[in-house]
Parts: sequence; structure tokens; C-alpha cells
Amino acid sequence: MLAFTLRKIVYNIPIYLAVVLIMMGLLRMRDPVAGKLGKNATEEDYIAKKAELGLDKPFLTQYGNLLWSIATLDFNRELWNEPGVTVGEKLSDAVPTSIALTLPALALTTVLSIVIAMISAFNRGRWLDRTLVFFAVLGMSISFLVYIIFGQYFGAFRLQQLVGHPVFSIHGYEPGLTNWPFYMLLPVLISVIVAMGYDTRFYRAVMVDETEADYITTARAKGASQTKIMFVHMLRNAMIPIITRIMITLPFLVTGSILLEQFFGIPGMGYTLLSAITNDDFPVVEAFTSIFAGLFILSLIATDILYALFDPRVRLQ
Amino acid sequence: MLAPDINTRCVQALALLRHALAFFIALGFFGGSIASADYPEIVLHLPMTTAGPNSLDPVRGSSAYDNKACNYIYESLLEYEYLHRPFKLKPCLLEAMPESFDNGKRFRFQLKKGIRFHDDPCFPDGKGREVVADDFFYSLKRMADNENQPKGWWLLKDTIVGFDEYRKEQNQADQFDYDQPVEGMVKISDHEFEILLNEPFYRFIYTLAMFQTAIVPREAVEFYGDRFSRHPVGTGPYLLKRWQTGSRMTYVRNPTYRLETYPADPGMNADGTEPYPGYQEDVDLGFYEDAGKPLPISDRIEVTMFVESQPMWLKFLNREIEYSTVPRSAYEQAFIKRNRRLRDTYADQGIRSAPVPLLDMIYNGFNMEDPDFGGYEDSKKYVRQAISLMYNYDEINEAFYAGQNLIYDGPIPAGMDGHPENHNAPKNYRGPNIQKARKLLEKAGYPNGKGLPPLQYYTSRQPESLAMAEMNKRNLAEIGIKMKIDSVDFATLSEMLREKRATFFGLAWGSDYPDAENNLQLFYGPYKSPMSNNFNYDRPEFNKLYEEVRVMPPSDERTKKYIQMRDMIIEDCPMIGSMARTRNYLIHEHLKNFKPVEVFSNWPKYLNIERP
Repeated sequence: MLAFTLRKIVYNIPIYLAVVLIMMGLLRMRDPVAGKLGKNATEEDYIAKKAELGLDKPFLTQYGNLLWSIATLDFNRELWNEPGVTVGEKLSDAVPTSIALTLPALALTTVLSIVIAMISAFNRGRWLDRTLVFFAVLGMSISFLVYIIFGQYFGAFRLQQLVGHPVFSIHGYEPGLTNWPFYMLLPVLISVIVAMGYDTRFYRAVMVDETEADYITTARAKGASQTKIMFVHMLRNAMIPIITRIMITLPFLVTGSILLEQFFGIPGMGYTLLSAITNDDFPVVEAFTSIFAGLFILSLIATDILYALFDPRVRLQ
Repeated sequence: MLAPDINTRCVQALALLRHALAFFIALGFFGGSIASADYPEIVLHLPMTTAGPNSLDPVRGSSAYDNKACNYIYESLLEYEYLHRPFKLKPCLLEAMPESFDNGKRFRFQLKKGIRFHDDPCFPDGKGREVVADDFFYSLKRMADNENQPKGWWLLKDTIVGFDEYRKEQNQADQFDYDQPVEGMVKISDHEFEILLNEPFYRFIYTLAMFQTAIVPREAVEFYGDRFSRHPVGTGPYLLKRWQTGSRMTYVRNPTYRLETYPADPGMNADGTEPYPGYQEDVDLGFYEDAGKPLPISDRIEVTMFVESQPMWLKFLNREIEYSTVPRSAYEQAFIKRNRRLRDTYADQGIRSAPVPLLDMIYNGFNMEDPDFGGYEDSKKYVRQAISLMYNYDEINEAFYAGQNLIYDGPIPAGMDGHPENHNAPKNYRGPNIQKARKLLEKAGYPNGKGLPPLQYYTSRQPESLAMAEMNKRNLAEIGIKMKIDSVDFATLSEMLREKRATFFGLAWGSDYPDAENNLQLFYGPYKSPMSNNFNYDRPEFNKLYEEVRVMPPSDERTKKYIQMRDMIIEDCPMIGSMARTRNYLIHEHLKNFKPVEVFSNWPKYLNIERP
């Protein structure tokens, strides 16, 4: 397994280098310096600013510097828009905040979606299945923004007026487990409702395929209970697509949710990244994209390894 | 320096440990919150409609949000009188307004005695020391140091004797030497000093009230180094207790703040007139009830940043913040559009509204060096005038701003000398006037727009900017002018303007101080792109007038020249405009003394809370 992992990592290095190169190239397609100058800036100021940002160096030098800082885990580069703050500090503040939102949302969505999908698949074609599919499609058809606006209005604002005291925060964030339900539960629930439509439909399709498999008929013939068929036989065999979906989602946990974070004032990575992109804060975008690309590659390798663990037919070669 | 040394590795290891700790804290493994148990009594919850400031170092700031955030902590030599309108300067860290000599080329300043910096570990024993003249010189010199990434150097450029030379010399040296004297900065004693100006620039006085010239202690800058922008130390009424970037800031009362008091009630004049316009309304609103109270009145201020308007609005309705600006989407929920009156449902809850006209100039500008639409020949001028006549700012105002903005001719906003009477200049090219536009186009040699190349227009990517552009495109099509719209982000537009590549563009300018000189400098020839004259307007008569007015104190003679310059701009038409936004504030009854203003930002120290 170690040899397989190392080989996969080596194979992916050129891809990683290309991703970083393309990202840097895209960022530099236009010049961010003019937007960072004060009023009445002269050509001299422009040149000084460009040098200060390190954009006067040849592209390959900038590329090399970024790769070196990634290789040495040096995230001490100062942000362009927040003097005195390093990239490492920014990410270490924002990423855990995002994870506090996205991880519970992913866990809850996955568990609920799988359970609902199994129920739906087992009742295929009946009213229960149709009703669940209807709600799944409905959930997918409504914009995320609508859920957020209505969720914030009814779930936080109106609920507070109704019960006379705040149940969920309209806006804001405080770290800490005791603060989590007040600040995070509502955004998590909104996220779960939105994602459940997509996930339920996907898992249902997977489960439907499995319900038609021979081993299910055999299990039934042997008198296995419905619960055992669903949770032991079927779930284990459906693990490959489930693992794939979860593993591909994992790196996105650190990206947070731009809309939720923006509307609920959660200073997570989505919010930070959007602000960095709109304000041309290259150090943040470069560091985050590099880390994210690395995580994504690692998650793909981990997915291959997990296949082998869950499915004896798969061999790592 | 590619290979990190051992020291760097140790720092990185510690940083990693800190990050890991922060990770677990954020995930809640250690539970609890940061809140302290004994918060003081009067607490204000104020909104900030943005992700917040980027830096709390005054020289690095430039935005209105940097200004707001810095004003809790720092103070400048001068400040604006809180309630007085029109805006009037008064001493802040000074004993009195500076005395001027040599026809306005020499100013003498007397610092108040006993003003101390905040207590901070950067000082011996952690006790803030007294502010002296050298602190002011040091703070100004920081604006000259390129290492500080100063955004406001333009405020002092060509102003103080020997300062530009000092800047050039020191930035070229290996080390910026703050101890090197500047000819125009003359220390008389620890509390008295003079500033010598190259010319009697009147703007200099306004500069002294701007947050960029606030006094900072050298000890703090050297102690915190790059982190100074996160560890502000000033003389202001509040200390920064906590800054959760992009989310909230907490300020607490500075316990060593000097004795400053709430403004006294001037009373009516002997002849029964108001001491300033709007005085009686201020009295009726109880703005003088706290007269004589020590400042700051509140003990703690919680500032919440809102990138989206809905949560701010809902928090306001829930009384979780003391005031809010009215989001565009909620305007008709709060006001009856017909008469712009606050709806009874709000008024009955004790909410009051306060519309604040901004010193704003929303305009569309031409590049005067563009071969097709620029130039000073009559034919080129007629084309621009015709385009101006097809711009319908009233329609834009109604469609996008609920009719609450102010439309005026030329570049001088209301409230400044030179603003046209009733907002209309005697001769103007304000649209819509299709007949006149057609005639002018014909006179220019382009009947029905024939032969005129398409007009390339650059605007921001905001949906409403695009919609406004489409509206103008439709209007221009009526006289046969084709407009191509290109929506770009701000950085791209800045770059295009810097390189004189934008033929026609939509922009806005918020005045830095309430003097028309600040707006008229946008048309001064020597300030052409890449500086602030994005129109690249360069008329010798205008330049000569600008050079005259910038060294004149306010007077009828100066106002006449302002009017002359304004009319020159209207006639040459390098810009089409203007429009000034009105910001509607809604204020809960329990917030006392709040007279919203956007020209200066040190007003939170006057605010009080009176809950039933």
C-alpha cells in the first residue's frame, strides 16, 4: 500500500505543478497594482508598489518562490490587503471556522441522505418513494440563496420574535462548542436541506441498482430481515460510490460556503477567499489554492485506498 | 533568501502549534467564549456595512471604513464640530486653532498639555507617555516612508517646505531616518511647533483633521513592527479590545482619556436666529441634553461588519444594533415612496429617520485625449454635450435610488462653495433634451450619429451599474449614437484609467473634505493619469484658476473662481453629472445624540444609550 501511495503521489506531482502554474498565470492576467494605489498616485508610486508586491520579478521566479514556500511549509508571507497578518494566521483562523460549519453539515447530510435513499429505494415506485423524490427534486430546484434569505428571516428573526428570545443568531460568530448551536446550527441546517436533495437522489440511484442485485434476492430467500438486508448487505455493497462522493467532498470542507458565511457573518474560508479574490490578495489565493490542490490529490489517492479496504475485489497495484 | 534558518524553523514550529491550538479552539474543544464577565455599563452596538478595515495604521488607511475604525483609537490635531452645520473645524489635540503667519505660509501650533497615549506594553511600565511636538513630526514622516505603504501621501505632496526632498532622499537611503530634520517642521518647545508651507495651501488645514495625519507613538510602531496595524496605540477615547477580522471589533473606553466634554448648547443668537442651520431640530432631538458630560459617554462599543444588507436590517428590526442604513431592497418597506415619509409602523416604535446627503459625485467621464470623443475643438465638445443631453439622471434616480438622490450640474456637491443655486447651473447640458442633442450632433458634423464611431463605455460589474448603462445606451440610440458597454472590475478599470485607455467611464468620487478644491483638482492638468485627473482634462485657463484657488482661504472671491471653474467644466463637458447619494439612517429611540454624518467619523464618543 505504501509503494502504491508513493507512486501515486509521484505521478501527481506534475499535475500539481501545472495546477499551481495555471492558477498563478490566471491571477496575473491583469495587473492588480493600479487598484492598490492611493489617490493621486504617480508612475513612480506605481513602480514602487509593483516592486513591493514582488510583481516586478520574472514570472518563473515568482512561481519558484511560491513552490519553495509550499515545500518548506512557509506561510509567513504578509497579506497584501491586511498588513501585519500572515497567510498562515489567516488560514488558521478561517479554515477551522469553515470546518465547524461544513463538517457537521456533511456528516448530517450524508447520514440523512443515505437513510432516506435506502427507504426510497426499498419502496421504489410506491407513494413514499414518489413523495421523497418529489421533495428531493424540489429541494434541488430552489436556489441556495432563497434558502439562506428565508432561513435567516424565519429561522432566526421571526423565531426570535415568536418565542421572545434569540434561538439562532441572525448574524455573527463566536468560537467555542457552547456557542456552536447558537451561531452555527441554523447555517448547518440550511446547508443540509440544500445538499440533501442532490445527495438523496444520487444515493437512491445507487441503492436502486443494488436492490436489483442477485445477492439481495438470495438474502431475502434466506430469510434475512429487511433491516439486515438494508444496513448489512446493501449498504456495504453500495459503499464504493458513497466513499467516492464523500472523499471528493472532503477537500471542499476547508473551502467553506461563500454564501452562508457571507450572510451569517461567519469569518470562514469561503468568505476569506471571496474577499481575497475580489481584492486581488494574491498571497491568500495562491496559498489556499496550492493547499487545496494538494488536499484534492491526496483525497483521490485515499479514495483508491479505501476502495481496496471496502471491496475485496479491488487490488492496489 | 530561500533557505530558512533554524530560527525561522522554530518560529514556524511555534506558529504551527499556535495554528493547531486555534483549530481546536475554533472547533470548540475547549468550550467557552472569550467574553469577559465585567463589561461596563453603557454598551453600543453599531454596524459597519463592509468586511471592515484592512489596517488600523492610519498611514496605511484610505477607505471610509479605515477612517471609521481608526477614529475610535487615534486623534488628529483638528476635528469637526459634531453638531455644527455647515462643517466647521475645531481644535482636537491643540489648545486653539493654528495661528497663520506670512500670508498663510507659516502655521504655529500649540499642543494641549497632558495628552497621553494609551497605556500599552510598548511604553516603560506600560504607562502611556505625554504627546509632544516630535510625535506629530514623526507621524507625518511616516506618510513619507514607502515601507509603510502610505495611501495619503498626496495630501502632503508639494506642501511642506523640504518634505518632498526629505521623502525622496530617505526612500533612496538604506534606512529611512526619522531623526533627520525637515526644513518645514520647526520645533519651538515640546508643546509648540511650526509648519512652513511652500505655498499657502488652504487644504493643509483640512488635512490636519484627517485620520491619516493622526498622531501615533514611535515606541508602538517600533515595538510592534509589522503588527502595528493590528495593535493600534493612540490618544483616542477608546482602546481596541478585540478584532475578529471581517466579523466584529470591540472597543472599550480609554481609562486615561483626558477630560473632554460633550459640546455645550450655544443657545439662540441674540437676534433670535439659529447659531447654525438645524440648531432647533438638534435641540428638539435632545442633542444638547448631555452637554458638559465627559467623553466618551459609552464604555464599550461592539462594531459588527455586514457584507450583506439583509442581516443588518433584521438585526436592526430586532433592536440588536442601534441604527441601520436602509438597504435599497427595504426602502419601500420603511418609507412611503410618494412623500419619503417613514411609515407609521416604524415611527410608532420610536424609530426616527435621518437622511444624510453625501458629499458625493457620481458621474460619467470622458478621456479628453481620446481621438474620437476627447479634444477641445468645438465639434468634439458638441458631441460630448449632445451625449450629456441624452443622459437622464432623474430617470436613474427614480429607477435605482427611489428618487432620493440629488442631481446637480458640475463637479461641486451641495454644501460646498461653488455649488449651483438650486442645483442648476445657469448654462448646463443636463438631459433629457433630445432636440438640442440632435442639433448639437448635427453641428458637430454627425447628423443622427452618422460617421461617429461607437462609444466604448466602462462600468463596474455591479448589476445596477450595468442596468444604468443599458438605460443610457437606449437613450443614446435615440440620437443615433451607439454605445458598447464593457463591465470590468475595479482593478481593471483603475488600470485602464491609469493608462488612458478608457474612452468613457462611470465612476464616483467621495470628497475627502468639504471644500470644492478637492473635487476641482480632479480636472487639474498636471494631475492627469496616472494621477487623479482620469479625464486627462488640461485647459490652461482652468489650471491657472486652480493654482490660484488652492492657496486662497474661503472668500467670495474664491467662490467666484470656483463658479468660473465649474462652468468651464460644464461647457467643455469632460464629465456628465453629477448625482449625490442620500443615505437613509434609521435610528432606535434609545440611541441618544446620534446626528449621522459621513464627512468625519469620530462621533461614536458622543453617543449615549437610554433604555426604558
